[in-house]
Amino acid sequence: MTAQSLPQSLPRTVKSRLWADAPAFTGLALFITLTALPLIGAAMIDTRTFLDAPVWQKPLQFHLALATYVLTLAFFARFLPQGMTSRRWRIYAAVVSFCVLAELVWVGSAASYATASHFNVDDPVMGAIYGLMGVFAVILTSASLVMGVAIWRNPATGLAPALHLSVALGLILTFVLTLIAAGTLSSMLGHHIGTPVTNAALPILGWSREVGDLRVGHFFATHALHVLPIVGLIASRAFSADVARGTVLAAALAYVALVLLTMLQAFQGQPFLPWLG
Amino acid sequence: MSPEAMFQIANPIALLGWAALLLAPLAPRLVDTITHLIIPMLMALAYSALMLAHWSGATGGYGSLPEVMALFTDPHVALAGWVHYLAFDLFVGAWATRTARAEGIPHLLVLPHLALIFLFGPAGFLTFYAMVAAFRLRATSSGATI
Repeated sequence: MTAQSLPQSLPRTVKSRLWADAPAFTGLALFITLTALPLIGAAMIDTRTFLDAPVWQKPLQFHLALATYVLTLAFFARFLPQGMTSRRWRIYAAVVSFCVLAELVWVGSAASYATASHFNVDDPVMGAIYGLMGVFAVILTSASLVMGVAIWRNPATGLAPALHLSVALGLILTFVLTLIAAGTLSSMLGHHIGTPVTNAALPILGWSREVGDLRVGHFFATHALHVLPIVGLIASRAFSADVARGTVLAAALAYVALVLLTMLQAFQGQPFLPWLG
Repeated sequence: MSPEAMFQIANPIALLGWAALLLAPLAPRLVDTITHLIIPMLMALAYSALMLAHWSGATGGYGSLPEVMALFTDPHVALAGWVHYLAFDLFVGAWATRTARAEGIPHLLVLPHLALIFLFGPAGFLTFYAMVAAFRLRATSSGATI
């Protein structure tokens, strides 16, 4: 599949390509989406809150976020080299899938008890699970690194060079930046820097409007695998090969800066774009 | 929404399923989709939501009869238990209707068992299986087709 034929053939083939290229991730994304339905039901009848947020908000965010992540991996799987469907790769995909499910079960179970999942270190059992889930989170994020490197080294993706570079860079940066942002986050006792008074927060994302929020950096870090390929797609169509390649590299640098700056901003106790929300 | 209000919604939905089962021969595939899939799935969603929201807050447990009885003193958990009955009873009713069709047993003969499954789930399940066994034995011993 070439870069030129990709957009035109998307609607017809995207579904079957997902199943053919990444059956485990495609099935997992579908499963995670469908199992969000009872959580929506629970959110409608459950009046409990945790840290001033409805208890089911976080599990729903995690279902949505992980479904998006896994579906994106399934989409990019078409650019993996031939032969990446080996037994070793399938076992790795199964391990990643298991980690994704474990995170969701953990976050959902903690929510059902209206207690903390992340940062729950007071209870020894929950503290131990929190540590284990950190390991699982690294494993599930490593899928973007493994795929990014494999796509980087694949000479036959059929993509324009700049787009090829942006897909590989986006995936690799998702791993590196998420490791930095989420690793920093987990070394703290909570996601806020400062003490919120009114608990004003952005809808859906839940970021504080009053104090620093380290989840902002995590969000942008993890979405590198969406943003950079979009830049690459546009650049590879609008510019010559060399300019497009430079644009992708500049965008990657700017993106790294954005993630680090949002983290710095949070550490200074400042909300991200305070005029939002 | 209060548990009472949800109860008032769940019952008519289940009744709709049972009414469809009575008329199953008129539109077998449609009725099968409604009674075997759609309504039980809706009930399963409601049950899951109720248990996710209220199970952890309820007293009692599954380990002893007093614990189970204590569990059902929570209106939300009791409602979830009732929805569980509604969903699985209808599912068994739909299964019986489909099994009878596959075995060539007239729908008229299934109706009394459907009534029993509706009111006393497992009792109807038992009598329906007894009837299926009788039909199978007759077929093998007499060589006659049902």
